[in-house]
Amino acid sequence: MTDNRHGVFGGTSSAGGNASVELLITHGVGLHARPSVVFTRLAKSFPCTIEIEVNRSGLWLNAKSIVKVMGARIRKGSTLKIRAHGLRAEEAISVLEALFVNDFSEERPHVRGA
Amino acid sequence: MSGVLRLQGQGNGCGYAAGPAYVSSEPLSPRGDPVSPSLEFESLDRAIADSVAALESLMAQTDPASADILEFQIEMLRDPVIAEMAAEQIGKGQNAAFSWVAALEEYIAGFEQSEDDDIRARAVDMTDIRDRVLRALEGMPAADFPKGSIFIGRDMAPSLFLAHDWTDGGGIVLEAGSTASHVALLSRAKGVPMVVGIGALSVEAATPILADGGSGLVVVHPSGADIAAIAGAEKAVLPVVPGFEADASRIVSESSVELLVNISDIAEIRSLDPGACDGIGLSRTEFLLSSAADLANEEKQFQLYCEILKWADGKPVTIRLLDLGGDKPLGGFGAEERNPFLGLRGIRLLLSMPVMLRIQARALLRAGAFGTIKVLLPMVTFPNEVEDTRRIFEEEAASLANRHIAISMPAIGMMVEVPAAAIMLDTFTDADFFSLGTNDLAQYLTAAARDNPSVGDLYRLAAPVLLRLIAQTVAVAHDMGKPIGLCGDLAGAPECLPSLIATGIRQISVAPSQLAAVKTALAQAGMDG
Repeated sequence: MTDNRHGVFGGTSSAGGNASVELLITHGVGLHARPSVVFTRLAKSFPCTIEIEVNRSGLWLNAKSIVKVMGARIRKGSTLKIRAHGLRAEEAISVLEALFVNDFSEERPHVRGA
Repeated sequence: MSGVLRLQGQGNGCGYAAGPAYVSSEPLSPRGDPVSPSLEFESLDRAIADSVAALESLMAQTDPASADILEFQIEMLRDPVIAEMAAEQIGKGQNAAFSWVAALEEYIAGFEQSEDDDIRARAVDMTDIRDRVLRALEGMPAADFPKGSIFIGRDMAPSLFLAHDWTDGGGIVLEAGSTASHVALLSRAKGVPMVVGIGALSVEAATPILADGGSGLVVVHPSGADIAAIAGAEKAVLPVVPGFEADASRIVSESSVELLVNISDIAEIRSLDPGACDGIGLSRTEFLLSSAADLANEEKQFQLYCEILKWADGKPVTIRLLDLGGDKPLGGFGAEERNPFLGLRGIRLLLSMPVMLRIQARALLRAGAFGTIKVLLPMVTFPNEVEDTRRIFEEEAASLANRHIAISMPAIGMMVEVPAAAIMLDTFTDADFFSLGTNDLAQYLTAAARDNPSVGDLYRLAAPVLLRLIAQTVAVAHDMGKPIGLCGDLAGAPECLPSLIATGIRQISVAPSQLAAVKTALAQAGMDG
């Protein structure tokens, strides 16, 4: 993992309404106030279940809850895994991944895209 | 229209009042209303909704950068997860304010403990959210009755007394109740006439009532002559305790007595000249903080303690930790016990609810940076209760210091009001000072509940046993080299002063309304320093 120059590793996989992606957070601010609003709002716009796991803790949190997402205390260097299950799971994952790649529509990149 | 009816009860010695009856229909009992989980959910939901609405209107008038922060707070509050976090505590019988603070405590601590500056900064947002909802909870209207009326009911909750505006007069007539209950203590401190133990009384709302706190007489439909007779009557003289009066003035004529005040309401000191006393011997925070939401509000408590310190202007200030339970069920605590005076009250309740204790500890530690505070622990039974409380203060002090917040560790003393503590005083080496609470000590020594009029005679006969135990306790405290004072009604009864001084007590704390009478009595005993 350390020799991976890109922020995004892993990638998108899907099978019958399941999709997931693993990201390395390289932005110093991680996923805080404003990005977490954007992230959870976007997650809520999908009908599928979406969950996040930080640093492979094995603890999956509801990605549609800003309280849970904030409470995960994602920071620079955190490994963030997002998984979706159900309708439009694949689309949800690719849009959420794009948020990180496109830097939450802010100037500085959170994650340098692959 | 019914005729004149005269009833005899016990008065509180605070003059008389005449006015229209307010008949308490609800059981406004001293046990308080038990917490109803569904009502608490409802209050929390409403407080959260009110907070969101307030943030939205704020957002409409702010610049986009600040609006981001507000938007974040709104999203947090709209997330049902935040209310669910509190739901678990509410389900356990906790009130809305505490459940809310308790739920967020650990969540906020998670941010505060992070090594990442940005994550730590999020704690401020969360605290802001927490306090906004707390303030909204506080805004919920409390039960009250019309100003100037005579409250008539079985008993009266202290919180109802405190929430009421007594500036237009009025009084209290209780069918049950006791002159030793906390509402009686509050009424004496505020000079509100009260008569208790008159038995069943059924009157229509707004019926004219005369209540004489001096004689304990209650007259329904009083005539002008009734009022004139009471207005002209003099106050009765209280009995002297035999055996302790003889040589009191001789024994101690060379040393003076420190005279401090007990406060239950911030208004009491606003109208009192600090020069009239030697400081504050007892601040009853369970009464000074008038709503359950205040108990959970560190900021509000901090400001209250700072106001007391500012008033005292360098004189000693003793603040007692929340003494809830017993007949003081603010926020529903201690409401369901069969024998509340023998149950989870005072420091026992605080140690079983460390969230509440830690909030108060932080507020006191912070206020301590602005003046010297002595902290008094209520209802201590065993030394480990003092040690455990001190440890909590030390932990909170360390955590505040880590956050670069100015603090000062207070002296930690204890109430001596449980016989076990009085008898074993020498084992309380961890306490910095002692304060005798004679009201509770009397009820525990005589096994006569202070709010039960049917054993009121036993309670009133406690003075000799109290004085003997006080004399022993004072001697032990002196041997330990630790200060000991006395607060409680015994100190405020001028006829008991010589006996009290004979026990070796040199520091007493009384209600501001009793200051003048006690000073006179001290001067007569040659003790006014």
